[in-house]
Amino acid sequence: MRRTLSQSILLYATIVGAAIVILFPIYWLVITALASTDELSSLPPTFWPEAPDWGVFAKVISERPILTWLWNSTLAAIGAVSLSMLVSVAAGYSLSRFKVRGGHSMGMFILTAKMLPATLMVIPLFALFRSFGLVGSLWSVILAQATFIIPFTTWMLKGYFDTIPRELEQAAMVDGCTPLSAMFKVVLPISTPGLAATGLYAFVLSWSEYAYARTFLISEQGNWTANLGIAGMRGEYTSAWNEISAASIFVALPIIIIYIFLERYLVGGLTAGAEK
Amino acid sequence: MAKISIKDVHKNYGSLNVLKKFSLDIEDGEFVVLVGPSGCGKSTMLKILAGLEPASGGTIAFGDKDVTDLAPGDRDIAMVFQNYALYPHLTVAQNIGFGLKMRKMAQEEIDRRVADAARTLAVDTYLQRKPKDLSGGQRQRVALGRAIVREPQAFMMDEPLSNLDAKLRVHMRAEIGALHKRVGVTTVYVTHDQVEAMTMADRVVIMREGEIQQIADPDTLFQHPDSLFVASFIGSPGMNFLTARVADSGNGPVVKLFGAEATVAHHDVRGLSEVIVGLRPEHLSLGEGPVSFRVKPTLIESLGSEKYVYFSEGEHHASFSSRNEDENSKGLIARVSHTGTLPESDELVLSFNPENLYLFDPVTEKAI
Ligand SMILES: Nc1ncnc2c1ncn2[C@@H]1O[C@H](COP(=O)(O)OP(=O)(O)O)[C@@H](O)[C@H]1O
Ligand SMILES: [Mg+2]
Repeated sequence: MRRTLSQSILLYATIVGAAIVILFPIYWLVITALASTDELSSLPPTFWPEAPDWGVFAKVISERPILTWLWNSTLAAIGAVSLSMLVSVAAGYSLSRFKVRGGHSMGMFILTAKMLPATLMVIPLFALFRSFGLVGSLWSVILAQATFIIPFTTWMLKGYFDTIPRELEQAAMVDGCTPLSAMFKVVLPISTPGLAATGLYAFVLSWSEYAYARTFLISEQGNWTANLGIAGMRGEYTSAWNEISAASIFVALPIIIIYIFLERYLVGGLTAGAEK
Repeated sequence: MAKISIKDVHKNYGSLNVLKKFSLDIEDGEFVVLVGPSGCGKSTMLKILAGLEPASGGTIAFGDKDVTDLAPGDRDIAMVFQNYALYPHLTVAQNIGFGLKMRKMAQEEIDRRVADAARTLAVDTYLQRKPKDLSGGQRQRVALGRAIVREPQAFMMDEPLSNLDAKLRVHMRAEIGALHKRVGVTTVYVTHDQVEAMTMADRVVIMREGEIQQIADPDTLFQHPDSLFVASFIGSPGMNFLTARVADSGNGPVVKLFGAEATVAHHDVRGLSEVIVGLRPEHLSLGEGPVSFRVKPTLIESLGSEKYVYFSEGEHHASFSSRNEDENSKGLIARVSHTGTLPESDELVLSFNPENLYLFDPVTEKAI
């Protein structure tokens, strides 16, 4: 069906509108990083700084332990994502495939757990980690983040596994697989788009997490994650907003890079051909 | 290759009894077709045979070996699925060889057998393609290749042709038949299409609501249906059914049809005042015959060398439980050879030979 002119206009207007809403904060972040402090507070605001100061990025890297923070965030994310994926692949697959007693209410339980605010868990987790001597260690953040990432990823993966025809596993079992090897040799390889999307989502959740990091790591500067570090850059009386913005760009960059790298997996389409 | 014995197998899903006591002995090398309307339990029976579903009771043996509790991979069978279930991440060659690889066969032997199977099914030119780059017919062949390469004890096929278009379906039907003749492996084939069942099977098992209705070779099934259900399921266009009164002519029992009397001496109609009469459309002919009657056609369809004459059953209307509403009210059909023009407006004389009548008890719905 061909689009009429008015439909095309409506379509492009919507796309442009959405793009502006999404891109504006990024644009604002960039000009804030590049502008001088005076220019930032001028009214009306300028659309592009008159003398963009590109040196701010080098300054932030040399004067602040931003690379250490990024490294800590990376370690925490790798830990939280690995742990979450390990648990939720098994859980999501079971929920998708096996009719266990109470399986449905289990699904509802996970769904409800997703709706609880993470801050609700801070105090009990703090007490728990203190008794295990984990407070201040990245492990505390990894475990704490996993508690809210796992419900999300389990639900996403269950949804993905639901779309894979059971006949594929049945064919594999007739071909000599056990249920477990059918999962590893057939289901997981064709689930790469779902696994990549879920993993990326988990990574974003971990990377942008602040409340747990703030609570468990505040006393241990060497273990600060990037978000914690940036929050710490705000001075008591004045804040160097251009430096904070520059640091924020460094923190946002990995997510953008990973997204570009994984995009072709996210689109899916790998299961095409399994059925007629 | 082996004989398959199914004994008293039944299956419940919770309180839903989808398969009643099912017993069947399949000879070595036989091609058996399970046929019946959708939802009658055909796939369930096949999955139980393959070990993909546990039975709620009963036993299954391949040859002398009880396989009731064996895993699918230990039963030495191959299965072809309706949606083909090709592994989308593997090439055609890897798809065909997957089962051999799982059985730890040496790679050269796998390659040799995959090449053989691919040649047999004419898929050898796209061994390196992925399933998504194949047409429906090609995928179907790869699925068959995956089955034959294993040289299993038996093939299980669940509606393998129903995703193909009509022309390809007829073609693949013949190919599967030829394949079975060549490799001679015991085959259990599931379909809801009676034409597929009749053309391919050595023996047909007709099922309804989880129960076997009749087991017979296609010709017996066509000529001697046990029940109204079987009679109405087999044949195209389907058998005509009419309610008729039984009378005694003094010269043996007769049924009254369209004002004429037809002797039914070789049927045991004792104690019945009414029967359901079955008459195949091809057993009606144009013009006078042993029993003749006049009808006013409602529609005449020409198929070239023959014509379908539709007419109303009038007072002989028959409805019974194993036919649905639509079928119960579709009228009667005569399939007559005639090449000229037949005006719909004229009354016609139709006739039949009473020897071709089928009689059914209206209560038990069994043949008499
Ligand atoms: N896993 C299941 N749980 C509950 N009921 C099922 C299940 N699988 C099949 N059934 C029911 O069993 C009956 C027979 O199904 P099936 O064997 O697939 O029929 P067919 O292949 O003859 O169309 C149907 O009524 C179906 O709804
Ligand atoms: Mg079925």
